[in-house]
Amino acid sequence: MKILVCVKQVPESDNSFIINDLQEWICKEPLSYKMNRFDESALEEALSVRDRYKSVGLDVLSVGPENSKDVIRRALGMGADAGIHIFCDADRYISPFLPAACIASYIKENYYDLVFTGAMSEDYMQGQVGPLAAEMAELPCVSFVVKQEISPDHKSIYVEREMDGGLIESFELTLPALLTIQGGINKPRYPSLSNMLRANRAEIRTINSDLISKTDPKQINSRLTIPEKRREGYVLSGSVQEKAAKLIHILSQKSFIN
Amino acid sequence: MQKQVKKLIFIVAEHFENKIKSVVFELAACADKIKKFCPAEIKVIILGRETEKLSFEITHTTGLDAVAIEINELALYNAEIYKTVINNLAEEFSPSFIIIGHTPRGLDFASGLAVRMKAACITGVEGASEAGGKICFKRQMFYGKINAHITSGSEPVIVTVQPGAFEPYKPGNASPGRTETRRIECAPQFIRAKGIRRCKFQDSSISESKVIVSAGNGIGERENLDLIYRFAGIFPGSAVGGSRILVDRGWLEYRQQIGLTGAQVAPELYVACGISGASQHLAGMRGAGFIVSINKDPGAAIFNESDVCVVEDLKKFIPAFLEEYEKKKR
Repeated sequence: MKILVCVKQVPESDNSFIINDLQEWICKEPLSYKMNRFDESALEEALSVRDRYKSVGLDVLSVGPENSKDVIRRALGMGADAGIHIFCDADRYISPFLPAACIASYIKENYYDLVFTGAMSEDYMQGQVGPLAAEMAELPCVSFVVKQEISPDHKSIYVEREMDGGLIESFELTLPALLTIQGGINKPRYPSLSNMLRANRAEIRTINSDLISKTDPKQINSRLTIPEKRREGYVLSGSVQEKAAKLIHILSQKSFIN
Repeated sequence: MQKQVKKLIFIVAEHFENKIKSVVFELAACADKIKKFCPAEIKVIILGRETEKLSFEITHTTGLDAVAIEINELALYNAEIYKTVINNLAEEFSPSFIIIGHTPRGLDFASGLAVRMKAACITGVEGASEAGGKICFKRQMFYGKINAHITSGSEPVIVTVQPGAFEPYKPGNASPGRTETRRIECAPQFIRAKGIRRCKFQDSSISESKVIVSAGNGIGERENLDLIYRFAGIFPGSAVGGSRILVDRGWLEYRQQIGLTGAQVAPELYVACGISGASQHLAGMRGAGFIVSINKDPGAAIFNESDVCVVEDLKKFIPAFLEEYEKKKR
């Protein structure tokens, strides 16, 4: 049995994102990166399958710029067997159709029983790459999965997905299938030191896919803007104590505190 | 100039336990907004085992026409059936836009449907505008710190609309729209729906609180929750809530979760502590009367939604606040 997990490197949330002069994209330099939180959960979910069935092969794929190799190495450190990197620049808005086409093409050429992706990326927040890739590769897909269990004969999988209002829907899918994994459903393991040493030496297969330039992106980003203020946004000034005193004054004027 | 032909906009109506979800009226508002930029007709599509009566609720409230599709195999939601049936309808009617809720259900089938229809797919939309003859859809990126304005090179375009972003479309004097009911068969091949259950307990206590003090990822360590509870303690009629990530970690209970997959609240005062302000959370608290946010990141998106902004580390600010408050009381 073979599982593929798709991971993405995303900028950390506490970065300041500055729009470039052309208003087309963000300035790239001051950013620090990490593995997308949802993908970490997806990888942990796949590793838990492998813990149970030792013979499972587990590959990890990332479509992105050169530094995507860092998250691939981290995934190898967490326990993935092999890493694949499909190069795609990150100097502009990348339509979800592009990475999805790359992933779909890769899984059509290399058979996997299961493909896991995160339910969304933290930076783009589109929730699209997994479901798009599934449809392009003609795989059944369930999104926002919170629990999965492969049938003993490895021909189907039982999944539970999260709805709003605390509801859980359950499905059975014929394998091969693609699941997008909800964040926070497990505790992603830390890479062990020995694994990380192995990961740093590991060969990452790099693919320069012409699908990035040939796929119809369907949609483009016309411009970026800073979100407008929807409320007054009065910023308190002064020392911590002064700000506290000001807030107490505002809240007592409005009778929220006595 | 070419004479403009009237376009068609589909709205896919979400429903649960024989009730139309409130987001459907917000989808209608988004469709109505698109109509301002290009002449268009709106049609509501509703799929399920028994949908005719449900569609009347929409046609009577909105005056829009509906197609109620009744499918025996759709007692429970199934993405395969949704994609097949809507794709067939799209082939028949050639809609230019398909508007779907940006909900766990809507997101489950929207992208796959786009591939089948060779459509664009823009998710998490919070606004629509026109530029150069094209409709731009506004959506958040980068933790809500940036808005992107996405356009499509071609039609059809599938759009998922963020709950809470549009005011519900409920024209006062609309004469009821017509419902066309169809009964079809559609058996899924690869996905079998097994059931639906309520796994997490959601009570209304948090929605009824006058004041909500809410914690996010920015609180750092679990111990800092004590600070949040002590802070909440000074507001009469208050409750502690939080963002999803703290519920996932087991630090808060599900009934305290505020946002898209948790509770939607509108207290008189909402105090956001260490909350970044991504759209999923905003969907649950935008309706609050007065919003105060405490975050050490001056660029945090939550500040755009706040009446008062405190740019401080909450671990320093809340103790200082409690101390000042005690001093004042004495």
